[in-house]
Amino acid sequence: MTLTESLFENLRLELRRGCLTLAVLAQLKQEHYGYTLRKALAARGMEIDESTLYPLLRRLEAQGLLTSEWREEEKRNKRFYKLSADGEQIFARLLDEWNAINTSITNLL
Amino acid sequence: MELLDRYLQAVKRHLPWERQDDIIAELGANLEAQLEDKEAELGRPLTKEEAEQWLKQMGSPIQVAARYQRQQYLIGPALFPTYWYVLRLAFFWITTVYVIARVITVAAQGSSVEAYAGIAFGLPWIWLVNAAIITLVFAVIELSAPRFPEKFSKFGPLAGSMAGPLNARWSPLDLPPVGAVDGENKPWSFAKAMAEVIFGCLFFAWLLLVPHYPYLLFGPGAWYLASLPYTLAHAWWPFYWCIVFINGFELMWKIGDLTGGAWAKRKQWRHWALHSLSLIPLGILLAAPGQQLFLAKNAAANLKTLADANKGVHTGLMIAVAVVALQIVWHAGKIVVESYRKRVAA
Repeated sequence: MTLTESLFENLRLELRRGCLTLAVLAQLKQEHYGYTLRKALAARGMEIDESTLYPLLRRLEAQGLLTSEWREEEKRNKRFYKLSADGEQIFARLLDEWNAINTSITNLL
Repeated sequence: MELLDRYLQAVKRHLPWERQDDIIAELGANLEAQLEDKEAELGRPLTKEEAEQWLKQMGSPIQVAARYQRQQYLIGPALFPTYWYVLRLAFFWITTVYVIARVITVAAQGSSVEAYAGIAFGLPWIWLVNAAIITLVFAVIELSAPRFPEKFSKFGPLAGSMAGPLNARWSPLDLPPVGAVDGENKPWSFAKAMAEVIFGCLFFAWLLLVPHYPYLLFGPGAWYLASLPYTLAHAWWPFYWCIVFINGFELMWKIGDLTGGAWAKRKQWRHWALHSLSLIPLGILLAAPGQQLFLAKNAAANLKTLADANKGVHTGLMIAVAVVALQIVWHAGKIVVESYRKRVAA
């Protein structure tokens, strides 16, 4: 990988990091377990690696933005995540921020 | 699937022990669901090679487990600037204190050149221990501050991971005035340059007169000193003329600047070059034969007192040389860094 590509990759990852959190919070207005969440996001154009998404869910839960519960589905125990009350508030504020940034960037371009 | 079980077992080994089972149960359920989907798509079980490829895409067990760790750094970006500042400050002071203390000890014992070299060899250990202790303290702060924010809030800048208290305590009004930081680069006024030359001339004249009129240096004590049964060794004469030469040289330079209109810009390198020359007269005294700077004038001299005085002055000179050398190295480093910084900026 050339220096330019490596730099681009780093900047791309940095840009995506915050967006992923927003995407996950948006998708978790409906309840999902890890794998179906990943599929739902991918179906809407937001591909996320398993090794990024699953730890992210844990982190968001530890921060109080998600709630989770173990439940059996299709003869297998799965952990289902959903946006918490705090998570809904934070998500709304983040969405406003996202829209403001988006508008600014569009104006700049 | 055996390969998946082996993979999960390998991931588990690197997870935090208190959450291992929970994380593996969740990860296993997700990966098994994904595997079922893949197999349903293909209409057959994955081959060994396909399974290997799929798990390789997931990442190595260590990498996957690492993402579940709560904190992957000892000192985070918010606390790091304070840590770095304290580390540099501690390095400077510990090095200074260590070198001076060791030089005094070695000089007092009248040790050899090897003993002085041993001081330099001891420095890396001092630095290592110092760095380890400071890093440990900051790592504890980093770990504890988020857990006990109310206890660490009073430390303000130390509790770097809490941006709130840090920003609340900081004010631009607390910053030092520009001159205090960049005083070395302030233009020198004509009046100051003229005063320097006038007082330099007076000092030079005083210096030339001192050997002929010792009371100019010692006051009335000069007559008392003359009555003592001790006299100065010959090494003091080359020392004296060296001092005269350095002061004369500096004075000529200043007069040249004043008459040539170049007084406004003070040249740091020149100041420190002249400061370095002060090592020569100190070296002359240190090299005095038998380390004897004072000699007995007559039989009334107490030889033990004389030996103690010579030893004490010799030790004092060693310390002075160490301090001057450290100052020179420190400022030479600053000049090099500054010139590099300017070159990069250009």
